[in-house]
Amino acid sequence: MSAVKNFLDRIMLLDLFAGLGITFRHIFKKKETVQYPEERLEPAHRFRGMFRLDEDRCIKCTLCARDCPIDIVYIDWHQELNPVTEKKEKLLDRFDIDVQRCMFCGLCEEACPTKPKSIWLTSKTYELSSYDRWENLYVDIDELQDWKIRPAYTDKEVV
Amino acid sequence: MADSENMKHNDTLFDVEEMELAFGPQHPSTHGVLRLNLKVDGERIVDCYPIIGYLHRGTEKLFELHPFFQNVPHTDRMDYVAAATNNLAYVGAVEKLTGITVPPRAAYIRTLLCELQRISSHLLWLATHAIDIGAMTPFFYCFREREEVLDLFEEFCGARLTLNCMRPGGLPFDLPVGWTDRCSAFVDKFPSKVDEYEGLLTNNRIWKKRTVGIGVMTKEQGLQYGITGPMLRASGVDFDLRKAEPYEAYGEVDFDVPVFHNGDTYDRYLVRMEEMRQSARILRQCLDNLPDGEVMAKKPRVLKGAKETEAYYGIESPKGEIGFYIVGNGTPNPERCRVRPPSFYNLQIVPELAQGALLADLVAIVGTTDIVLGEVDR
Amino acid sequence: MNLLDSVRESVGPAIFDYAVSPLLKIMVLIFMGVLPLISYLVLAERKILGFMQVRLGPNRVGPWGVLQPIADIAKLLVKQDIIPSTAIRWAFILAPCMVVAPAFIIFAVIPFGPSAAQSGGQLDFFITDVNVALLFVVAMATVGVYGIILGGWASNSKFSLLGGLRAAAQMISYEIPQGFSLVIPLLMAGTMSMNGIVQAQFDQGRWFIFQGWGLGLVAFFIYFVAGVAESNRNPFDLPEAESELVAGFHTEYTGMRFALFFLGEYANMIVISAVAVTLFLGGWHQPFPNAGWASFLNLQWLPLVGPGLAGVLWFSAKLFAFLFVYIWFRGTFPRYRFDQLMDLGWKWLIPMVLLTVFGTGLWKILQ
Repeated sequence: MSAVKNFLDRIMLLDLFAGLGITFRHIFKKKETVQYPEERLEPAHRFRGMFRLDEDRCIKCTLCARDCPIDIVYIDWHQELNPVTEKKEKLLDRFDIDVQRCMFCGLCEEACPTKPKSIWLTSKTYELSSYDRWENLYVDIDELQDWKIRPAYTDKEVV
Repeated sequence: MADSENMKHNDTLFDVEEMELAFGPQHPSTHGVLRLNLKVDGERIVDCYPIIGYLHRGTEKLFELHPFFQNVPHTDRMDYVAAATNNLAYVGAVEKLTGITVPPRAAYIRTLLCELQRISSHLLWLATHAIDIGAMTPFFYCFREREEVLDLFEEFCGARLTLNCMRPGGLPFDLPVGWTDRCSAFVDKFPSKVDEYEGLLTNNRIWKKRTVGIGVMTKEQGLQYGITGPMLRASGVDFDLRKAEPYEAYGEVDFDVPVFHNGDTYDRYLVRMEEMRQSARILRQCLDNLPDGEVMAKKPRVLKGAKETEAYYGIESPKGEIGFYIVGNGTPNPERCRVRPPSFYNLQIVPELAQGALLADLVAIVGTTDIVLGEVDR
Repeated sequence: MNLLDSVRESVGPAIFDYAVSPLLKIMVLIFMGVLPLISYLVLAERKILGFMQVRLGPNRVGPWGVLQPIADIAKLLVKQDIIPSTAIRWAFILAPCMVVAPAFIIFAVIPFGPSAAQSGGQLDFFITDVNVALLFVVAMATVGVYGIILGGWASNSKFSLLGGLRAAAQMISYEIPQGFSLVIPLLMAGTMSMNGIVQAQFDQGRWFIFQGWGLGLVAFFIYFVAGVAESNRNPFDLPEAESELVAGFHTEYTGMRFALFFLGEYANMIVISAVAVTLFLGGWHQPFPNAGWASFLNLQWLPLVGPGLAGVLWFSAKLFAFLFVYIWFRGTFPRYRFDQLMDLGWKWLIPMVLLTVFGTGLWKILQ
């Protein structure tokens, strides 16, 4: 019985028609196209995009520089006496990140001990291209705080 | 050239002119930068000599330069299609070396991530294999599902492909709110999508003509070459590390391992389709039985591997058995970290399977081996 | 039509009927009908394939991408025209023309609508009515293979030559089932003239696809499969598949020459579909042309539509259905390997078509 059915299937090309039916039905289904750049998909909450720094919260512990797997975070700080509070405090001279090599792994964000974190990647920024090669390759402290595409995304803990 | 000396010379009565062709390294079907030097006689392949190393980045040396937990992003980039299984192999080896036990919630979540990764890797394999053989639409259907899996990963750890989602001792953070519901919704509708792909391909006579009897690998060949994974299971060997040496939460979930006996491309296709369905089953069980607790074990602040200790940890990645062999030397950095890459071992069989095949079949054979050059070259 | 009449009187009826009128019809048909149809067929293919693949096709250039073919043509026209220095120049330049020309020539004998006598109007909706039109169609289809061989050979490159020869072998093998399957409507109608075959379908009251105890269906099926193989379309598109090693006979062609090859392929598609519509689906007649109850289908209740234009509309509708099926096949099936393709042609289609011809002969005798 199944041999007869097999023979009929082969003659009547039922397997081919099944495939044709599937593609035909898909013509009427909802399409997945997103009309970029008019519509953009919003990344998830924890999406590791471009990093941002908040200098006020930073305690200059250099844990982020130590934890980077490719050593691209360059921090220089020095101690100074603050005339107002009469206490010694650390000041940042240089906080540069070499974006050419960054792999956006998020280990620097994990290492940061402050709450909320002083360096974070959850800025939902992924559009990092520019017309000039030298514009976005090496990001210094001012650009880190002031990344032009999106405003500072999170001041709260990422749940 | 050195390669020509390695190729066999065909001494016959007639002056057979064989053409030497280089298939790759830039080619739409070689799935990466693989170069195959072919000697063809008309359409038949007389000899095939793979040349690899175009993607070598010195990963194993890089491992020695940084402490254990900082090396996890490097493991993502080896088999870039299935990053979670790479991560798991590495952190598992580190945990074995330093003697940390992972809390049960972390074990279950890691199993979840690995099975999601298996689905994503097999979907990519199906998409590229189908489009090499000429069927254009399964590519888009598979990627539609893959997008959802990648979205789930993005919600958990922040990245879609290079996940960096595990640490020695557990996970860096817990699941976000609502993740289990979304994952559950995906798992519920996934088997019907697999039915759709099967409807397009499994019984299709053209697909069968292109894949049945192509690239037949016998059981003995597979065992000799050290092939693992779906390639071996399609040749009749019932060996799956998830059942043979259960790790993480695999000992507590119930699933079947598909085994077929013909060893041809069609059987490997069937094995991987069935594995996708079984992964959905495992996911359903893990989601239902997820224990509470914390996700990171108590471990010392600075992980050090004691001097002269070594550990090997092998798991079942979508491509085969991936294993890490780590040697400690008393510092936070590993002394030596050696990877057992499944694609490298699976690639060995391609020249044998390609003997006497037609050029069109070579594309099918390379596709069915499911290699990822990042793993072959490291 | 006073202008046409006055031109006819001034030039002389003989010259008008045999030279001026066909020339006018060719200009209108080819340049204002077929060429835009081909370019928009490319767009339709991309959109329909996209819809089958869960995505929209081109939709940036104009609403729903309708200006995309214009953008494509503009791009192809301004591309640099490279002729390899080792190529054989005259053959290189001639090859695309030899692929495109036969496809267009066949349009001369296909009836798009009724003649002036049948519709009561002034225009014949076909360029000419030869009484060996079917033979002409088969002959011209065969000439198309020359262009491909010439293209592959003229490029003076190993891969192009191999690709060209493969394509030529495929096309030659499928000429035989295609030609033989055209014998079946010939037997059923008793005349080789295309108009005559359409008229015969009207007279016999049934489209030839349903005629002959189902043999018409088998013949139609064989013709369609052979036609898909003739135009190098999926599932028989190995000669031009990108994931294969041999990149095909049109590797070395750039710019407008490549566009001509491309155009030739789509023109071939349209011609094969047009011939199938004429021979098997009743040409420009509406469905159920003899039945009184179906007279609303003759579309003449639409404004501005007379019997001639109604014929053209029905013809176009059937043609578009065929082209949709071509695109549908491309979106669904994997590709046959070359030896399996040749197997299919020689071992399956030719015996099938011979049996069908035999059966149709029997049917005709028993009529």
